[in-house]
Amino acid sequence: MNPEAITSPSLHGASTLFVVFRVDDTNYALPAETVLQMESFSGATTVPGTQPFVAGIIQLRGHIVPVIDLRARFGLPPAPSSSESRVVVGQLGDRIVALVADSAREVLRLSSEQIKPPPRVLEQGAGGFVRGVAQVGTRTLFILDFGRVIGEEAFDA
Amino acid sequence: MRNAPVEVTHFDGERVVRSLPIELVAGILVVDDSKVMRDMITACLRSDSSLLVTHAASGLEAIERLSLQRFDVLILDLNMPDIGGLEVVEFVRGQDVLRELPILIVTTRSDDASRKAVLDAGASRFMTKPFTPDVILHEVRLLMTSTGSSGAS
Amino acid sequence: MHVDLAEFRSAYLDEVEEHLNGVDGLLMRLEDGRHRGQPQLRDLRELMRLLHTIKGLSAMVGVEAIVVIAHRMETIVRSTETSGHRMDEAALEALMAGSRAMASRVKALVENRDVPPPPDALLTALNSAMSRECSSAEAAEVEFDAGLGDKLGPSERQQLLEGVARGLRAVRIDFTPSSERARAGWTITTVRDRLGAVAEIVKVVPIGAPRSAAAPGGLVFALVLLTTASDATLAEMVGGSTADVKSLVTTSAPAAAPYAAEEIDVAEMARPGVIRVEIERVDEAIDGLSALTTTRFRLSHAVRRLAQSGVDTRELSLVMADHERQLRDMRAAILRVRMVPLTTVFERLPLLVRSLTKTSKKRARLEIDSGGAEVDKAVAERLFPALVHLIRNAIDHGLESPEERVRAGKPEEGLVRISCETKSRQVEVRIADDGKGIDRARVAARAGRDASDSATLLSLLCAPGLSTRAEADATSGRGMGMDIARRVVVDRLGGELALDSTGPGGTAFVLRIPLTIAIIDSFAVRCGDERFVVPVPLVDEIVELEASMVVCGPCKGDTQTRFFVRHGATVPLVELAKLLRVPTASGGRQALVVRRSREEPLAFAVERVLGQQETVVRPLDDPLVNVSGISGATDLGDGRATLVLDLVTLSARLEQAEAA
Repeated sequence: MNPEAITSPSLHGASTLFVVFRVDDTNYALPAETVLQMESFSGATTVPGTQPFVAGIIQLRGHIVPVIDLRARFGLPPAPSSSESRVVVGQLGDRIVALVADSAREVLRLSSEQIKPPPRVLEQGAGGFVRGVAQVGTRTLFILDFGRVIGEEAFDA
Repeated sequence: MRNAPVEVTHFDGERVVRSLPIELVAGILVVDDSKVMRDMITACLRSDSSLLVTHAASGLEAIERLSLQRFDVLILDLNMPDIGGLEVVEFVRGQDVLRELPILIVTTRSDDASRKAVLDAGASRFMTKPFTPDVILHEVRLLMTSTGSSGAS
Repeated sequence: MHVDLAEFRSAYLDEVEEHLNGVDGLLMRLEDGRHRGQPQLRDLRELMRLLHTIKGLSAMVGVEAIVVIAHRMETIVRSTETSGHRMDEAALEALMAGSRAMASRVKALVENRDVPPPPDALLTALNSAMSRECSSAEAAEVEFDAGLGDKLGPSERQQLLEGVARGLRAVRIDFTPSSERARAGWTITTVRDRLGAVAEIVKVVPIGAPRSAAAPGGLVFALVLLTTASDATLAEMVGGSTADVKSLVTTSAPAAAPYAAEEIDVAEMARPGVIRVEIERVDEAIDGLSALTTTRFRLSHAVRRLAQSGVDTRELSLVMADHERQLRDMRAAILRVRMVPLTTVFERLPLLVRSLTKTSKKRARLEIDSGGAEVDKAVAERLFPALVHLIRNAIDHGLESPEERVRAGKPEEGLVRISCETKSRQVEVRIADDGKGIDRARVAARAGRDASDSATLLSLLCAPGLSTRAEADATSGRGMGMDIARRVVVDRLGGELALDSTGPGGTAFVLRIPLTIAIIDSFAVRCGDERFVVPVPLVDEIVELEASMVVCGPCKGDTQTRFFVRHGATVPLVELAKLLRVPTASGGRQALVVRRSREEPLAFAVERVLGQQETVVRPLDDPLVNVSGISGATDLGDGRATLVLDLVTLSARLEQAEAA
């Protein structure tokens, strides 16, 4: 899989390219180099016996990719998927996992100064998965820790 | 208990569960170096659940198993590497305890010379390929009821 | 019970293909040996045996044409072996033609076409090869141990003589089988394999003896060997002592040997660390692993119950996590055993290149650099046809004639190079030729599209219309069979096929293949709106459910148990849709009966069994979706992932859930 239209961030000094997506009116971001691809989402095949936030699996260019429903992962009530729903396919090491967001439209550049550590008050819901916060104009972006979102030991003891 | 599951342990540790008392089960040793052939023969015999089929992939392995375990019928292919069916028959008939063991030879057509040689050496009956399941079942049953009868089918 | 021997067709095809590979390899060795004037007794005997096996198997499955060809070939080899051990060029050519004729008929079977009768020209060639001049071998003056002597035939004695003349030791080593030794892994088969790595085994003679403590089975195997290994090494291979080793030669061999010394390929004879394992044993190990996984599930369930009743299970959970990881590692290790070196696929190619260069009057050299790459056995078996098409293309159409090449400043002999590189989860196989490149303009013109992009050019070449013989001229032949190659690599193996480069200096294709795949015969079933796939080996029988057949049993909690009667026994019936929580309006109308190892069978009701097909199963490796009861996922052609169910484990889970 090839990343879509993403240029190398190193040309621009101490700033990094991020992919921005929305879940329930909140903006989240992931570093572009973590993201392999973004696709529209038309449902996943349910896998019985997985955790509730695992929507299932999809097939992408011959690969089987697990899909995490970010709403469920963040403890939000489910919403019907729309034509705007997107899967953001990310890679960490050997693992490729897709995240379902309500929409994903933007790619933007953030400088390292713009990213601040998350406030301690964010403990529940998405809080555990946020590793930084950035202000862009009037919007607040929550930078996700992809590794925590996809979890390393994600099954019952 | 009469029809309880019974575990039979073979000498190489292979364990098989049958649902018949051990005394009523007949041990069949099928010897052929082709796994497909062994599987086909086993499939043909499977409908009779009083038959317990063991495989050997070579004449040497067959002789080894025969020396360590009791069988009721030996089904033997003639064409095998290292030691062919004829030598196995000769060896088997040379052992006191195996002299009466019924031996069913499997051959291909137009193999008259080796067929005669193997019957002379003491094989009980022979069958030619291709054969159908009822033919081989019939031959095996014949061998189990009348011990030591020789002759062509 | 009805046994249909035609069920064994695909197993027959696999085994016959393997034997045909063996035949080709031996024919190449015989040809090589012929040029050096060497006798190759072992190869002749092995060739004869393979042909005989092919003949017998083909007779059982009813492929008459192959029986006839194999029989004639076998007769030729047999008479060569018993007479002069030397085969003339015409006979070798006839045998190679025979091998090709058998292979093409096997291919016809695979593709469900009619098998043509053997060509008359071939039969004539084989017949005339059966009469040849014999040369008698001069006997040397060597005596052997009397006890063994009458068990050794003339060709074995000849083999021993030749071996001694070459400087090898002729020895006898005894192996006494027993139940105890068999349990420890010492059987005549394993001993023979071990010895085969350090010695040439001339014969294994079983010798009866009275039963004793030393020989509990009343049997001793005397192995007659030619070797350079020491007594100590040999004894080790047999698990015995040097007392079991005896030299066989009682007088010295004459100085003048009738044949020139043959170079022994020592590297070939002693290959450390390589053990041939039957695929079935590996699969048994994988089955054992599934059982372990089921038990682990029950264990974790029990731990959870403990935690719920207030016991501190933290330490237990840590242990369970370790255990899970170890199970995963072990599974990976077992799957690695199924890996075979790609050289096993490549070793058939030189023969192909040889016949292609002869028919096309081109000169070509094949270079193979497998880079030590290994793939799963199932991948290796399926890769070969794709390689054949690409190489045939390269030689028939890519390489220019020798004259053209000289004019273009290239060496007369063309080069086809196959190289492999192993990446993290894939193997990259590159097939490059130094021919004249693909004529983009012609392909583009034919398709009415622009073909300046390599990816587009490749998909145009692979389009079925452009890929036929009729269109070969239009694409200057490069399209031939490309759609088949792509179908094998992409659909059947889940890999990628790419055109790396093409120009006046040559063309290079790249195949990227996953290292492990599983392809299994499966049933596709429908439950509600969803489809699932169940491997055929799990299913004992498919039963049509009539309402009158189904009996309701006592209620267990809030579930109603249902049964039906089969062969005089009651079989519990489970709605698959309910088990998998698939919403469905109607109940199941067909049931898959699944055999379980220690218990009675269980039946799963589905709406309909849709059909049976070979499916590529991709594992659900990621921990998020790696759950017991689901073997993997496949694509039934709709682009969605369809789950492959492990009904045996699912049924175990069901019992656990009910027991809770």
